[in-house]
Amino acid sequence: MSAPTVVPGGEAPAGGWETVIGLEVHVQLKTRTKMFCGCSSVFGDPPNTNVCPVCLGLPGALPAPNEQALRLAVRAAYGLGLTVHPRSIFARKNYFYPDLPKGYQISQHVEPLSTGGRLEIESPDRGPLTVGITRIHLEEDAAKSFHDKVPGMTAVDFNRSGVPLIEIVGEPDLRSPAEARAYLTALKQVLVYLEVSDCSMEEGSLRVDANVSVRPAGNAELRTRCEIKNLNSFANVERALVFERDRHIAVYVSGGTIEQRTMTFDAAKGEVRPVRSKEESHDYRYFPEPDIPPLVLTEAWLAAERGALPELPAAKRARFEKQHGLTRYEAGVLTAEREQADLYEMAVAKGGSPKSVATWMMNEVDRLQAVYKRVSSPEIARLTPRLSSAEVFVTAVAAVSQSVETGDLNRQGGRQLLEEIAAKPERLVESLAAGAPRAIAASLAKPLGILQISDAGEIEGWVREVLDVHAAQVARYKGGEEKLYGFLVGQVMKRSKGRADPKLVNAALVRVLKGTPGG
Amino acid sequence: MSDRRALAALTARRIRELEDGGAHAFVEWSEAALLAQADAPASPAGGALAGETVAVKDNICDLTFRTTCCSRILEGWRSPFEATAVRRLRDAGALVAGKTNCDEFGMGSSTEFSCHGPTVNPCDSARVPGGSSGGSAAAVASGAVSMALGSETGGSVRQPAAFCGVVGIKPTYGRVSRYGLVAFGSSLDQIGTFGRDVEGAARLLAVISGRDPFDATSLDRDPLPPPGPAPVSLAGTVIGIPREYFGEGLHAGVAAGMRRAMDRLRALGAELRDVSLLHTKYAVPTYYIVAPAEASSNLARYDGVRYGRRVGEGAADVRALYRATRGSGFGPEVRRRILLGTYVLSAGFYDAYYGKAQGARERIGGDFTAVFAGGVHAVFTPTTPTPAFKLGENLSDPVAMYLSDIYVCTANLAGVPALSLPIGRDQGLPLGGQLIGPMEGEAEIIRIGQALEAVVGGAEEVR
Amino acid sequence: MAVTREQIQHIAALAELAVDDAAAAELERQLTRILDYVRQLEELDTGDTRVADERVAPLRRDEVVADRLDRPARDFGAAMRQGLFVVPRLGELGGGDQEP
Repeated sequence: MSAPTVVPGGEAPAGGWETVIGLEVHVQLKTRTKMFCGCSSVFGDPPNTNVCPVCLGLPGALPAPNEQALRLAVRAAYGLGLTVHPRSIFARKNYFYPDLPKGYQISQHVEPLSTGGRLEIESPDRGPLTVGITRIHLEEDAAKSFHDKVPGMTAVDFNRSGVPLIEIVGEPDLRSPAEARAYLTALKQVLVYLEVSDCSMEEGSLRVDANVSVRPAGNAELRTRCEIKNLNSFANVERALVFERDRHIAVYVSGGTIEQRTMTFDAAKGEVRPVRSKEESHDYRYFPEPDIPPLVLTEAWLAAERGALPELPAAKRARFEKQHGLTRYEAGVLTAEREQADLYEMAVAKGGSPKSVATWMMNEVDRLQAVYKRVSSPEIARLTPRLSSAEVFVTAVAAVSQSVETGDLNRQGGRQLLEEIAAKPERLVESLAAGAPRAIAASLAKPLGILQISDAGEIEGWVREVLDVHAAQVARYKGGEEKLYGFLVGQVMKRSKGRADPKLVNAALVRVLKGTPGG
Repeated sequence: MSDRRALAALTARRIRELEDGGAHAFVEWSEAALLAQADAPASPAGGALAGETVAVKDNICDLTFRTTCCSRILEGWRSPFEATAVRRLRDAGALVAGKTNCDEFGMGSSTEFSCHGPTVNPCDSARVPGGSSGGSAAAVASGAVSMALGSETGGSVRQPAAFCGVVGIKPTYGRVSRYGLVAFGSSLDQIGTFGRDVEGAARLLAVISGRDPFDATSLDRDPLPPPGPAPVSLAGTVIGIPREYFGEGLHAGVAAGMRRAMDRLRALGAELRDVSLLHTKYAVPTYYIVAPAEASSNLARYDGVRYGRRVGEGAADVRALYRATRGSGFGPEVRRRILLGTYVLSAGFYDAYYGKAQGARERIGGDFTAVFAGGVHAVFTPTTPTPAFKLGENLSDPVAMYLSDIYVCTANLAGVPALSLPIGRDQGLPLGGQLIGPMEGEAEIIRIGQALEAVVGGAEEVR
Repeated sequence: MAVTREQIQHIAALAELAVDDAAAAELERQLTRILDYVRQLEELDTGDTRVADERVAPLRRDEVVADRLDRPARDFGAAMRQGLFVVPRLGELGGGDQEP
């Protein structure tokens, strides 16, 4: 790790100690085939079935680099602000391990694909923070080893051998375990947005090696760090870093020194312990891969990739705030996942008001998911061959949002309408013919009898009836029992079968009560 | 076709005679396999290799026989895929006769480092056939087969071709796909061809050449055209004679053979020009850094986990398994080179050795580029410093063995094509003359080779 | 400059090759001899020759190509259980570079 400048405002040091954390993240790229052969890279197939001479390291096999892996790696690099080098080379990293079929991994060492980027995150300790990214390079994955399947043996599945990876090396700019977790969350969001990877730690498509050391607050010099591997969730990354940080501090406080070790995290015990009994010197004997000429990317190709980059989360969030008049919080929720952000904007484009659509999408997640599921089914898709399920879905969202916004339905009516659509999505399809979202909603709502009643006269009539029938409660209310107001409102709503416009009911009730004795 | 069957039966008879006579050129062959190939649906009529029988070096993968690279560590290994070159020659109608003996993993210059013991030189059974492709050279020299595939990293086709009195061609690096050639020194390796004459070796080369998507280092070129008729004149052809290959102390027989061949070239109308390939003396030391370094990495896959020999089933842990398997599976020369290669790549030594060697390689290649840019069509040199040496002669000092590659390894380091053809005999032992061409200049050296071959009297005594 | 016994043991360990004492003694001599021989390259001034490799790697389309083996991996004759290749446990070795 290079020596970082001391970042002011870092995590409040535990008794005067500052934590320094750098993360190396390995991400599997979402390609159909492996990095150097045409084997399927899909996860979950029976063991040792997606294999060939190349990914098994058979005598005579040779690597053939995957174009799409290169494209996704470049996309990730641009998305994280790195400089992509038009010329880069593969290198052999030589070491022995059962999951490494050739006895070396094809990776990149000097002259990597990209260097010098950054990721903006929201640090829980210090607010907006820029975290440096040293480099992103391409390499191949190793096979998957199992130590507990066969007693006394290590068992290996080569389906994973050769799957394309990018290694994302972060600068040691992180100052707390919580900050490290925030970095990972932000990194995953960007990579998923870019459709570069699924970034699932459970499936192994995202792996983290965490490097941590501590130093007295205010010191610029870095002390010995330890590397923690075998971390299987963001939460465990944070837990492991907390444990290891505390261990380092305890050792220094008691006058000891930290030995550079590779550590593993035991999730069951919540402990970090050494993985090797003595530190073996990692002499990888890197040299340029003689089986693959240099990777050369033309400026035209790079420009096309730059141009095709989707809008990144931070930019989308800022734009949502500005363009759609949303709060930072609302924009954050709606842009957390790209698919949802896209659906939101489609709904707005269909005619929903931005604020209203936002409210519905944020507050009615379950009902909307039910609608989405039904609308995406093959039977419904068949009914709307010229429309995607997304388009049908956002029409429903826009319809409900508009009708509530204009007062055709009240909120409860809106919810009922969503439930109706989920129950009978064919009706939604029929009502698409009505055209504008409000008209669609009206055509759906009418037979349900849920359209809101906004006739002031009708409402006043019910109010007078209620005050008449419940004179006793009225008297008690006027005598000081404020909470009976709600009861009276409820009675009016009941008479209207829930369809009266609550604002008008309120206005009428207040007016009529004023006009009666004691009001 | 009964023609193919007759050829298969005849080939089987010849191989049997050869092997019964103690040649030990083949490590695996069978009459049944030959007949089965003959009976299989024939390739399209007029396949370029119809009527040819081809022996394949044991470090090239095929589907019929085992591929052991003459090493204990690959004992019994049947490759589940075949080399692109083998597929192409079969598709062209050739019969694959069997797998031939070689130095283990291609590491050696005499075939004495085969785990099966050496092949003998068909011209003198007390002498080596050369290496590492000694078995293929002997198989062609004896007449058992008409052609053979070998491989080169540092001259392993041309040197045995010279020792056995046949033609051997190493193509431009990348000309022939390495997919299915068991890797030794990846930046140097190429499959090469043996033939009784230049035309045969060139025709086989043409068939197996051409781009291959499975080999990222293969040249983006169509296959070479087949050789044309031998030219009768070399008027207008300029042939460079590099002084560094003709130093004092050159073996008298070799010197005589070269003088005689150069006279014939002049008689054909060629202009012979004195040239300099200044960095020639650094070729062997450069080679013995680059090749072992790459080999140490290429041979790391032989660990007993997925295929091949596994020693130490009851081993305490996997490291013990590796060490026992590799320790007992590799012969002494392979082990020497793996250790040497590991050493030169290890921390602190990379720049001084591998880094330096890459720079030297640039210089050696630069020498050739400059000479060819000066109007020379090909360079003519002895293939080897001496005729075939005796079995056991060079085993005590590894460097002595390495020095037999002194004239051939320059072409591997530079990546340029080179051809060896018989230019005469010295006391019954074959002598080889080497033509080295510019990058992608196979046509040039084949053409000149054919012209020379027609007039040089390759089986005649030179003094 | 001689290659020492210690160096032999170190590189043998890096190369995962068992080398007994007798072999190690011989290798000391032979490797020293070879390294002395190749060291003559030092007299060559290669300066800052950055090897100029003008080639461009061809790129493969991302499409599945199956059936590149004439028989399944389980028929290679290696030790297998439950469809997985097995080796003795790692013992002191711990995790590889890409674990989990």
